[in-house]
Amino acid sequence: MKKKTGLVITSALLGFSLVAAGCGSSNNESASSDSKTLKVWFMGTADTVTPIAKMYEEKNPGIKVEVQAIPWDNAHDKLLTAVASKNGPDVVQMGTTWIPEFAAAGALKDMAPYIEKYPSMKAENFFDGAVQTTKYQDKTVAIPFYVETRAMFYRTDLLGEVGYPEGPKTWDELKDASKKLVAKGGAGHYALPIEAKDSIYTAIFAWQNGSELIDSNRKPQFNQPAYVETINFLKSFYDEGLSPKGTDLDTVAAFKDGTMGMFISGPWMIQTVKEKAPEIDGKWAVTTLPAKKTNTSSIGGADLSIFNYSKNPDEAAKFIAFMAEQDAQLKFYETSNSMPALKAAWENDALKDPMIQAFGKQLENSRPAPMVTEYEEIAKAAMASFEQITVGGADTQTELDKLNAKANELLGNK
Amino acid sequence: MFIAPAVILLTLFSIIPIIIALFISFTDMDLVGLADYSSISGAGFANYINIFKDPVFLKSMYNTMIYVVIGVPLVVAASMGVALLLNYGTGWLFKSFRVIYYMPSITNIVAVAVVWGYLYNGSYGLFNYILSIFGLPAQQWLQDPTLAKLSLILLAFWKSIGLNMIIFLAALQGIPRSYYEAAEIDGATGWKKLRFITVPLLGFATFFVTITTLIGWIQFFEEPLVMTKGGPLNATMSMALFIYNNGFQLSKFGYAAAGSFVLFIIIIIVTLIQFAVKKKEVEY
Repeated sequence: MKKKTGLVITSALLGFSLVAAGCGSSNNESASSDSKTLKVWFMGTADTVTPIAKMYEEKNPGIKVEVQAIPWDNAHDKLLTAVASKNGPDVVQMGTTWIPEFAAAGALKDMAPYIEKYPSMKAENFFDGAVQTTKYQDKTVAIPFYVETRAMFYRTDLLGEVGYPEGPKTWDELKDASKKLVAKGGAGHYALPIEAKDSIYTAIFAWQNGSELIDSNRKPQFNQPAYVETINFLKSFYDEGLSPKGTDLDTVAAFKDGTMGMFISGPWMIQTVKEKAPEIDGKWAVTTLPAKKTNTSSIGGADLSIFNYSKNPDEAAKFIAFMAEQDAQLKFYETSNSMPALKAAWENDALKDPMIQAFGKQLENSRPAPMVTEYEEIAKAAMASFEQITVGGADTQTELDKLNAKANELLGNK
Repeated sequence: MFIAPAVILLTLFSIIPIIIALFISFTDMDLVGLADYSSISGAGFANYINIFKDPVFLKSMYNTMIYVVIGVPLVVAASMGVALLLNYGTGWLFKSFRVIYYMPSITNIVAVAVVWGYLYNGSYGLFNYILSIFGLPAQQWLQDPTLAKLSLILLAFWKSIGLNMIIFLAALQGIPRSYYEAAEIDGATGWKKLRFITVPLLGFATFFVTITTLIGWIQFFEEPLVMTKGGPLNATMSMALFIYNNGFQLSKFGYAAAGSFVLFIIIIIVTLIQFAVKKKEVEY
């Protein structure tokens, strides 16, 4: 039954928070008598983290690590409920884009005192882009855990036939290679998909073109020439039939049968392509993104934070310090294929695979989405505008003026 | 006194949440407010005024109306039709078809979405394959704004027919045989028996099915959430999904609560209209 779904959920959230706040404290105290239980929330599947938790338990007798895996789709809801009830885990994995929102709500502890105590948490150990995601208004509220970035997957054989065996290096080459690929393939063939449902996709191209999304004075830049030019460049891929209009073309299947010669995605796709398309082994590779002014990519992934309502913050910090060390980082790479945020871990043989190294190279030139609490909503508006322009046929400049006005309003600019 | 448990439960889980939601809808509550109640401030009617200026909300109201206008009559008519057909016999074929029609109702919506996602897929989907057999052009089932709406209606129609069919079947079996025997003595044909006995005596079941289906479609939520996320161009955005997006994706609780109140009031009005219409009908 879907009875008054929104209404009940919204209000139940508040209602439960009152009840849960009352029982929460007693639960934690009873656990802290002799052997401590550390509650850890992870996104994804438990089998990636449980082995690392076991390692930690062996090294620290008397501490039990209770790992709870939450599917990414439900994670945001679940964290909201935890904030509302002020009763959640001790350690929480945060998607990097959620940091501003939850930091603003005061749900994440200031890490500064712990960073002094544990050298493994020091900022210089991690990629710059990853460290940027842990800060909110000059306060460090998290420690980088793993990183992901976007790079170019391409079919070496198909791109070789059109003269780009090492993949396109610039925007012009990307366009040229795309045209040649489609011309060669004929009807039903595309060069690469444009992930219009993923707000970071347009952002990456905008950064490459030297455009900011929101500048340091909280002024959105969506109607400035650099951004407009970016959107028109992406739009031309639709207009010229180089990208599929529908978003449901199965990327791996199309990559396998050669319907699509390139796509831009994250490191998780390496394993997916290997598993689902073993037929094309040796016929594809990963390289850094083509450049306009720069070849900037996005940096994302996840950080680890101490939940502000944790009863065991010191224990939580010790666990996070362990997770930032090379052993744990490499183990997590082994269990989940997520790339370590710790720079030193990249020296290890486990990461010497050329495809992973391509991501490592891209990581040196990558940046996170704007760290403002309003970004989630602005990103949604930006995606809606992009859709209006590419599917709805709206004029680019007019639509982006509207988007900029909306962003200004959301940011509270006069 | 003996109704106290029921009254307490109703108050605790239904009436108090509604009152709290009404209260929230007049505030600017967001995630910060959730963590620290002292930062919540009153917003007066601003949420209600803004929501009616929000083109996405207006679009979601329009979409919801389309869902209701197409979906409700379709579901009521088809589930009654299926129930009538299945009521003809009791053999194994009829019994297995009851199961087949009921199956979608008990299947998890996410599983359904995955399967239907493949059926609707533009490049590798079954529907486009069938079209291609007849030499018809491939359709963008979930990417074309108009077609996406109809695609979701088709999916929800398929999913909700089973449960309503069971209700009709139960009602059909409650009609005394003697009415039909009397009509047969008077020389009534099959069509006349259906027109003058079965359909009128299904009146209450029809009323029940219509009202629950109507409320269900006004709160149309899971199908667009898992299939299209309200896109393309908000063409499949329903009011419930709009509320969910604002409340849980963007943490704008005040705004979402205002939206849910608008939805709540619409449901009450529609239900009252239903009851008013029902009174005018002739009772057997």
